[in-house]
Amino acid sequence: MKKLLAASVLALAAQGALADEIRVLNWQGYGTDLDWSLEAFTEATGHTVVHEYFTSEQEMLTKLRTNPGAYDVVLVNAAYTAQAQEEGLIGPVDAALISNFADLDPNLTGNEDLNPGGALHGVPWTWGLTSLAVNAGEFPDAPTSLSVLWDPELKGRVSIRDDGLEAVQFAAMATGQNINDIQDMDAVKAKLTELLPQITTFWGSENDWNQFMAAGDFAVATYWSGSASRSISKGLPITFVVADEGAIGWLDGLSIPASSTHKEAAHAFIDWMVDPEFYVKWDAEGAPATSNAKAAAALPETSFNRTVLGDPATVAKVQFMRPVSEENRETYLKLWQELKAAQ
Amino acid sequence: MSNRLLAHLGKAYLGLILFFLYAPILVMAAMSFNASEFYQLPFSFSTEWYERLWKNDEILEAAWRSVWIAVVVTVIATSLGTAASIALFRYEFPGKTVLQLLLFPPIAIPWLITGTAMLIFFFGIGLDRGTPAVIIGHVALALPYVIVVVTARLATFDRTLEEAARSLGASAWKVTMAVTVPWILPGIIAGGLFAFAVSFDQFVVSYFLSEPGDSTLPVLIYTSIRKGFTPEINAVSTIIIAVSMGIMLLAARYSNFGGEQ
Amino acid sequence: MSSLSARQDRIRAFTLLSPAYLWLTVAVFLPLSAMVFFSFLSDVPFGDREWHGTLENYQEFFQTSTYATLLWKSLKLGLMVTGISVLIGFPCAYVLAKVIKGRSREALFLLVILPFWSNSLVRIFSWAIVLRGNGVLDFAANAVLPWDVRINLMFSPTAIVIGLVHSYLPYVILTSYLALQAIDDSLIEAARSLGAKRRTILTRLILPLAAPGILAGAVLIFVPVVGSFMEPRLLGGRRGTYYGTVIEDQFVAVFNWPLGAALSFILLAVVLVILGAFSPVLRRART
Repeated sequence: MKKLLAASVLALAAQGALADEIRVLNWQGYGTDLDWSLEAFTEATGHTVVHEYFTSEQEMLTKLRTNPGAYDVVLVNAAYTAQAQEEGLIGPVDAALISNFADLDPNLTGNEDLNPGGALHGVPWTWGLTSLAVNAGEFPDAPTSLSVLWDPELKGRVSIRDDGLEAVQFAAMATGQNINDIQDMDAVKAKLTELLPQITTFWGSENDWNQFMAAGDFAVATYWSGSASRSISKGLPITFVVADEGAIGWLDGLSIPASSTHKEAAHAFIDWMVDPEFYVKWDAEGAPATSNAKAAAALPETSFNRTVLGDPATVAKVQFMRPVSEENRETYLKLWQELKAAQ
Repeated sequence: MSNRLLAHLGKAYLGLILFFLYAPILVMAAMSFNASEFYQLPFSFSTEWYERLWKNDEILEAAWRSVWIAVVVTVIATSLGTAASIALFRYEFPGKTVLQLLLFPPIAIPWLITGTAMLIFFFGIGLDRGTPAVIIGHVALALPYVIVVVTARLATFDRTLEEAARSLGASAWKVTMAVTVPWILPGIIAGGLFAFAVSFDQFVVSYFLSEPGDSTLPVLIYTSIRKGFTPEINAVSTIIIAVSMGIMLLAARYSNFGGEQ
Repeated sequence: MSSLSARQDRIRAFTLLSPAYLWLTVAVFLPLSAMVFFSFLSDVPFGDREWHGTLENYQEFFQTSTYATLLWKSLKLGLMVTGISVLIGFPCAYVLAKVIKGRSREALFLLVILPFWSNSLVRIFSWAIVLRGNGVLDFAANAVLPWDVRINLMFSPTAIVIGLVHSYLPYVILTSYLALQAIDDSLIEAARSLGAKRRTILTRLILPLAAPGILAGAVLIFVPVVGSFMEPRLLGGRRGTYYGTVIEDQFVAVFNWPLGAALSFILLAVVLVILGAFSPVLRRART
């Protein structure tokens, strides 16, 4: 595969593409900035990679808006791809320049959120779940229902992320609603009002989560699947649970800013990122699930992404997150702030 | 109570406060020698994080960049701030109160908003991102602190000293350098130390205004919390504190800036 | 003659002030003016977003009780942290300025500020290790006390106050020190030899002379603490929502800069009003 890629890049080089420095905008430690992979990429293509990081999706958009031309590849969550495209921040991706494209799951490449205006604006890269993780020592049998968050016995040992949208979505699932079309906000509000006294603290990042879980502050908390896989690989005794009521699914795509001046190198980098050889190595360190069917099939039997996310029964329960209007986001945030302020 | 007993009690109290100030620093240093990546207790000794740090060019470069940016910021902010404080103290002119009030917006408004505002404004006037932009931003945030601290020291200054020197025929510049500055030196030093701290811990402005790949230590720390930073961060912070402490104690040994008369 | 020297004074003042204030204008005041402008818009004028002038963002503050409640909570936090810092910081500054002599004073002066040179996030996480159940404090208390205690201060308002007092204490220690150290020892001696009691010396001599330093320190603590969001968020647990955290949300969770800016300028106005209300006290203290 790598040879093939190198060959295709050589072909590009023959067309006049020179070694470029490309700039990638992503979360820190989220796959694109692994040293061994970047070294190999530079060796194979001659291009070098510089990173810049964001700490929230809003910041990612702000950086794109205020720094035209500064970035060549950007990680955009599928729920934001359409907005970025509408604002003219990202341009279409040419699938023909991505040799691994044929191996990507057609459900994902065809995902309407990644194809705003009918053209591919984000190459599906990884996906995962926001669900629950429990302290394995306290739960010999993993819980099967979201109601564990409301269990009076766990009062003061529960945590969810400090994010209004996510809190509302969990409450929606717990009240049997569709997270992308919440009809009964009163039920959501009532459910969240009951939840807040249960909470010990809100978590904000993998860093707090790991430290609070390791110190025994949490018995059960919401968590991201990719992070759970990483925490487990680092030896934290936790179990990742997908409850019967469901879990929030998300899909991350790699996009190319409309203002990029190194589009060919950017395509080569995206191709490198969806390559199975890269993914299998990344997975061993703890990674979210891949969009590449070949890569998923190449994972070892014991891999978290194979055992947990590879199970069709699990995937059937997932509600994938659709774009959320700014209006709804603000409504959810207001509700969330109001409930927190009352504590 | 005798004066000596009081003096001893006072020293014990000072020791207690210093212990409070250093408690988290001691914990930070201890955790840099703890094997657990998740800062888990009980403690188990390891030098792994220092070994890893030694090979981690990204952290080392960022730490070095933070240090020299903070030094440059300290020098600029302290000189400009001291000059402004002297003027505010010495002269009466219309609009003085307004100038003094203007020092508070940069302190009161959360740095996130000021940082975002700088980002859009600098983008609007075409000032490119990079270290100069970062320094411009840091100096601006440090200036009010310097001015407030130096002004507090000046408030204790006896104006008649300046007038006496002037009546003896010294120029304004000479009076400033020979009479005023030596008196307020402890204030200038304190202002400089605060300026260094403001720059060295500044995240938002550096984050928005630095070039990709040129991040400072706080930027590295804040952007890595999503994934979880490792005790390597504790290790580098411990080294920085230990080195600064060494330099400061040496400086205290060989100079006189505490205002001892 | 006097008008000439007044003019010269103005020129000198201008020369000394302009570098600092020009710098502040370019890097802070003009950018913040852009934010003031945004706070009167319906949306941020980026690309082809629709926007128009409005007072809605300011009205929003009054439409629900959420913001006012949180602002009040933050002001109380600011007062508490400032009060505690002054109470424990001033005696410390006094010892440093009047009891310690010689070179060790300079070393201690520097040592007070050094903890400040560590990263605030690392410092907060270190406090978490100290304050939580089974943490350092719990362990130390059990090692010293003969009976069993359970100390878990983490995720409480107490934890926020401890974290903030720690972060801001050096301000008031150093500014009080600067004022105290300037008081001539012979003045205190004279008062003492005239038979003044310790309490009288403290309240009639030392405190009035040190007032500018104490007040400068108090202002430097109060003003940023009211807008703080990191300590509350990480140490306060579910009760860690303050005014600063809701401002942050407008920038990080949603793209509502106009509301975030409006909320910050309301904060600024309230802080300035409070400082203004205190300024007569401040001026009296100086004379």
